[in-house]
Amino acid sequence: MPEGEATPAPKGRRRPDREESPEESGVWYPRWFWPSFASPGIVWLLVLFVLPFYVILAIAFGTVDLFRNPLPVWQPWWWTKSYLLDVLTKIFGAQAFLRPTYYRTLVYVIIASAICLLIGYAVAYYVARHAGKRKTLILILLISPFWISYLMRMLAWVNLLESDGYVNRTLQFLHLIPANHPIAWLEGKPVTVILGLVYGYIPYMILPLYGFLDRIQSSLLEAGRDLGASPASTFWRVTLPLSKPAIYAGLVIVSLPMFGDYYTNNLLSGSPKTTMIGNLIDDSVGSYGQGPQGAVLVIILMILLLVPMLYYMRSTLRAQELK
Amino acid sequence: MWQRHPREGSKDLREGLERRLGRPLSRREFLRASAGAAVAMPTMSAILAACGKNPRAQTTPGFQVATPDHPVKLPLVGQPIADGLQPESGATLQIYNWDQYLWKHVVQEFCDQYKCDFKITTFNNMEEAVTKMQTGELKLDVFFPTYDVLGKLVDGKFLQPLNHSYIPNLEANAWDMFKNPFYDQGWQYSVPYTVYTTGIAYRRDYIHDDQIFGADNPRAMLWDPQYSGKVGVYDSYRDTIGFALQKEGINDVNTEKSADIDKAKAALLELISAVNVRVEINGAYAKLPKGEYVLHESWSGDIVAGWGYVPKYVEADYEALGYWFPDDRIGPADNDLIAVPSNAEHPVLAHLFLNFMLDFKNAMDNFSWVGYQPPQKQADVNALTTTEGLYSKISNWAAPAMYVPPWMPAAVVRESDLTTTGLRVHELSPAGDTLWQNAWQEFKAGA
Repeated sequence: MPEGEATPAPKGRRRPDREESPEESGVWYPRWFWPSFASPGIVWLLVLFVLPFYVILAIAFGTVDLFRNPLPVWQPWWWTKSYLLDVLTKIFGAQAFLRPTYYRTLVYVIIASAICLLIGYAVAYYVARHAGKRKTLILILLISPFWISYLMRMLAWVNLLESDGYVNRTLQFLHLIPANHPIAWLEGKPVTVILGLVYGYIPYMILPLYGFLDRIQSSLLEAGRDLGASPASTFWRVTLPLSKPAIYAGLVIVSLPMFGDYYTNNLLSGSPKTTMIGNLIDDSVGSYGQGPQGAVLVIILMILLLVPMLYYMRSTLRAQELK
Repeated sequence: MWQRHPREGSKDLREGLERRLGRPLSRREFLRASAGAAVAMPTMSAILAACGKNPRAQTTPGFQVATPDHPVKLPLVGQPIADGLQPESGATLQIYNWDQYLWKHVVQEFCDQYKCDFKITTFNNMEEAVTKMQTGELKLDVFFPTYDVLGKLVDGKFLQPLNHSYIPNLEANAWDMFKNPFYDQGWQYSVPYTVYTTGIAYRRDYIHDDQIFGADNPRAMLWDPQYSGKVGVYDSYRDTIGFALQKEGINDVNTEKSADIDKAKAALLELISAVNVRVEINGAYAKLPKGEYVLHESWSGDIVAGWGYVPKYVEADYEALGYWFPDDRIGPADNDLIAVPSNAEHPVLAHLFLNFMLDFKNAMDNFSWVGYQPPQKQADVNALTTTEGLYSKISNWAAPAMYVPPWMPAAVVRESDLTTTGLRVHELSPAGDTLWQNAWQEFKAGA
C-alpha cells in the first residue's frame, strides 16, 4: 500500500441513521454478527456437555434392560428416584458404607493437590525467573509427559515401584533401606496412590503457574526491592498475591480430574483400603444392573465439584472487578 | 369397510390453515404446509407413541434361569444354516473373545486349512461383551460367552441355532455331559470350550504343599496376617463372595439368603483388615508368578498358564507355582462356551471353527498355551501332568512344561467335577443379585 494512503474501511453496511464519529469504527454489523462468534462454543457445549449430561440423567433415573444393562429413560415423567435414594442411603443412611470412600477421596485429593502446588510452584517460579536461555528446553521437558498417555505413565510406575524395581534398588544402593527389605509400594499403600496422583497431574499445575508468573512485570518486583523489601518479602507481598488466580486455576485443574480418577488406584494399589469415588463409579458401570447407580454417583460427584468450581469462579470475578 | 381416502384430509388441512391465516392460501403455501405436516405427523406420532410407553414395562425377561436341577431347553429363535454349504471364500473370521484366551497359532492353522483370515476382538468382561453386542455395530462370527448369559442372548436374538451336521466333533470328542448341558439342552446354541475349577494359587517357596493341603480350612489361609500385603482375590463378585461363603462353611454358592451373604461380607471386610487384600483380575496368572502375591484365589486355568509369566524362566521359578483345590472336589467347577452370533457374516466358517476347536489335537494345542483344559474324551486326565504340550515344545524354555505341572494334579479337571461334586455357579434372581452386589460394593468401598 502506498505511503500516506488511508486504510480502507472493512466491508459492511454503513449505519444509515447516525453520523460517524472519530471514536467509532464507522462500520455497522448486524446485531447477530459478534454473538455468532460464540456459536461453535455453544454447539460444542450442547453436543459434548448438555446432551451427555442428559444421557446421564436419563440413565440415573432410568432402568435396566433384559441383560441388566442401563436403559436410559428419555421422558422425565417416567423417571424413578429409586436408584438415587438407594445411593443416598449408602452415603447418609444407617450403614453409610460409601461415606468413608468420599472422605478418603477428599483427603487424597487435598494432599495430592497441595504437593502439586508446592512442587509445581517452585518449578514454575524457577522456569519463569531463573531458567534464562534454558527456558524453552525446560518447558519442552515439562510438556513432554503430555505426549504419553496417563495409563502408560502409571504402568511405568508399576515397574519402577516393584519390589525389585528401580526405586527400591536406588534406596538400597543409597543404604536408605535394608538390602533384604524393599518397601512394598504396590501392596495397597495410600502414599503410593497419592504420589501417583501427584505425578499424573503435576504438569497441569506447572503450566498455568508458569504462564502467569512469566507475565508478572519485573518492574513490580523491582519497585518492591526499591522500597526496601527483601527478596523473600517481595515474594510474599508481591509475587505470591499476584499469582493467586493462577494458584486457584491450577488447583481447580488438578483437583477436578483427581476426584474422578480410578486408574491410579487400580494400577498402583488395588486394595479396598484406597478405593476412591472414581473406583465406585467404574465398578458400578462395569457390573450387571448397577449402571443407573453409577450414573447417580456421577451426578453426586458433579454436584460436589460445583463447590470448588463456584469458589474459583467467584474469586476470578472478584479479581477482575478489582482491576 | 369404509375407508377414508388418503387425499381427503388435504381439504380439511387447507380449510384449517386458511381459517388461521384469515386469507386464502396460495398453491405454493399450501404445498409447503402439507409437506411440513407430512414430515411432522409421523415424527410426532412416533414421539407420542414412545412417550406413552413406560420403558420400565418393556424389560420383562422371557427366559428361564437354568440350574443343574432345572435344565433349560432354549426356544428356537431363527433357523440353523442349511446342510452341506461350502465355507465362505476369502473371508475374515471375526472372533470375539476374552483377552489371552485363544492361541493365535491354532486359529492360523484353521485359516490355513480353510483359506481365510481372522481377526480377534477382545473384551474385559461379559458385561462389556454383551453391551457391545447389543449395539449391533459388531459383525461377529464367533463369540465366547459364559453360560449364565446364554438364555438372555437367545431371548435377545443375538445367537443363531447351530446346525449339528457341521460339528460332528462334539458327539465324537467332547465329554458326554455336553451333549445335553443343563443351560442348553440338546446343545442348540453352544459348544463347550474349556472347563476349570476355582481354588487357591500359592507360592510353593513360601507355603509347602502339605501345609495347605493338610490345613483344616485352606481358604482361611488367605486371612492369615503373616501374608499381609501378599494376598489377592478376583475382581469378580460371584467368584469372591462364593469363595468367602465356602470359607465360612457355606457350600451353596448361589445362596440368596441375606444371613449367608452377611456372613460372607463380614469375612471379606475382615480380609481387608487382616491382610490388606488386593482385588485384581490378573493377579493369579500375571502377578503371583512374579512374586507379588503369595496366595491368590484362582481359576485352575490361570495358574496352569502362569508359567508363561514367570520372569526368569528356570526350573525353580516354574516349580514355585502351586494350586489347591479340595481333595473331595467340592468346590466351584464351571465351563465356558463358543457360540455363533445371529448376525454372523460367515456362519459356515464359524460352524467349522467350532468343530475345529473340538478336534482333539487342536483343543490340546490351544490348551498348552491358554492353560484352560478342554473337555476332551480322548485326553487322559491322569496323563496331563506328564505330557508336554505344543507350546512348550516350540518355545525355547529351559525346561519342558507339561499340560498341567506334575506337582499340580489338583488343577486337572474331571467330568465328575462338573456333574457330581463341583458347585455350579448359576444366575441369581434380580433381588438376590442386588443382595450380592451390595455386599460386594461394601467390600470394594473398603468400609
